[in-house]
Amino acid sequence: MLDFLQAVSDGVLFGATYALIGIGFTLVFGVMHKINMAYAAASIGAAYSGLLLLEVMAGAPPAAVFACAFLAGGLLGWVVYLACFHFIPLSHPLATLMSTVGMLLLIDEVVVHATDGMPQNYPAMFDDVMLHAGEFTLRGDLLLVFGVCVAAMACLLALLYRTRLGLATRAVSQQPIAAQLCGIQVAQVNAITFVITGLLGGLAGAMIGASVGTLSPLLSGPLTVKGLVVTVIGGLGSIPGAIVAGLLVGGFENVFQLYRGVTERDLYVMLLLFAFLVFRPGGIFAPRGGRD
Amino acid sequence: MLELKGVTRHFGGVRAVDGLDLLVPEGCIFGLIGPNGSGKSTTVNLITGLFPLTAGTILFRGERLDDLPTHRRLQKGIARTFQNIRLFGRLTVWQNLWVAQNSPEDRARRSFFARWLGGRRRARDEIAHLLEFSGLAHKADEFAANLSFGEQRRLELARALAARPRLLLLDEPAAGMNSEEIGQLRERILALRARGITILLIEHVMELVMGVTDRIAVLNFGQKIAEGSPAEIQADPVVRKAYLGGGAT
Repeated sequence: MLDFLQAVSDGVLFGATYALIGIGFTLVFGVMHKINMAYAAASIGAAYSGLLLLEVMAGAPPAAVFACAFLAGGLLGWVVYLACFHFIPLSHPLATLMSTVGMLLLIDEVVVHATDGMPQNYPAMFDDVMLHAGEFTLRGDLLLVFGVCVAAMACLLALLYRTRLGLATRAVSQQPIAAQLCGIQVAQVNAITFVITGLLGGLAGAMIGASVGTLSPLLSGPLTVKGLVVTVIGGLGSIPGAIVAGLLVGGFENVFQLYRGVTERDLYVMLLLFAFLVFRPGGIFAPRGGRD
Repeated sequence: MLELKGVTRHFGGVRAVDGLDLLVPEGCIFGLIGPNGSGKSTTVNLITGLFPLTAGTILFRGERLDDLPTHRRLQKGIARTFQNIRLFGRLTVWQNLWVAQNSPEDRARRSFFARWLGGRRRARDEIAHLLEFSGLAHKADEFAANLSFGEQRRLELARALAARPRLLLLDEPAAGMNSEEIGQLRERILALRARGITILLIEHVMELVMGVTDRIAVLNFGQKIAEGSPAEIQADPVVRKAYLGGGAT
């Protein structure tokens, strides 16, 4: 029983990174009605860019590496927007899907070439801290990961619900044509959405690196799949849905990792996805009348 | 104010608007009427830039609009409402107006320094004024999706006004309204003209069109079949045949 609780809590803490990735997919989908397949790869790529700081400045504090990954994420988000969306006809349903798949492979290739395909160590913070409650423990590094992700989500929600830019973003997602005719520059809102989701992705990538301890180009494939699973389970376009689903998937996979081993766990995540597609295809938070 | 010269738009083989010439003078309330499918809404969409022109040109205050994207036309001073309501449903009434304040004056006001010189307060005052004008002050914090039909129509108008238009395109603003609401709409339209806003009114409800416009153009099959004062249009035999259905007035 204790093992079970321990697995759930570790999994939910780590699940915050899935929640961020899910938010990235869902936000772009909400605003543009497009899937950005390159998102998880760009997030991992941004986390790698954080390591560049260690190359230039050996002994840079982990927080600086994370900040570097965060900023690189925003930059990569903008590059992905320009390369895969800006000049490609959005009315064509498959064009941007293919361009982002191409970008996913490209980013992975760049990472493989830059690191010779070797996994790289990633710095962590508070990895020597352990909080004990009887037999039950909370890892300090995971708590930091969770805290950083939650803070990022809180900032995002404040941005979307309190600022003019956020309201314009939601206006575009609810009524793209009317938004245009109200003088909102839809192309600019789209680009900004990519930068914002990119920042979140860079942070998520860094947090994944910090909690796993290493980064490998093999991470981006499974992370893409998990991000999409989280998005579907949460309900496409729903941010609260992505948050809940991210934590759910994190806890769920960690329980199966405990009982069935790391090689089998993703199988059960896929079964969870199929269960949702059959019984609740709209996700946990099926979108209400208007998209948001 | 607004001039259309030979404006044409084809959808496949259909000539939705076909060589339309129109001159809307400044400060006037101009009616555009015609049977369903005669090209009225397409004309509005062409003026606001939702689709490109097949042929012809559109001038606004002497300037060609043809190649400007939609949001630039709004900044030039052209705003519109929609026949089928398109509000931002999950934003509040107040927020619907706030995101629509995109005139050049408002943009300048949002620059870093202007903000601290009372720009924010002026933006709020203006929203309060618009809420008052459209009778929505008590609903400011309600989600737009939760408003009644009549209130949503009023909010559509207020949102278009938030952009400080010189020219306002109203696409069937009275659709689905009862005659008391139409009376209020009429008052609002006249009040807007008194403020110097030119209005292009597209409407089926003759009670409103005949009572409020200075001049009317009639479309049929994408072409203008008549133009004149409301009295002339009512008396025109071609119009009566095509549109009013013989005996109706």
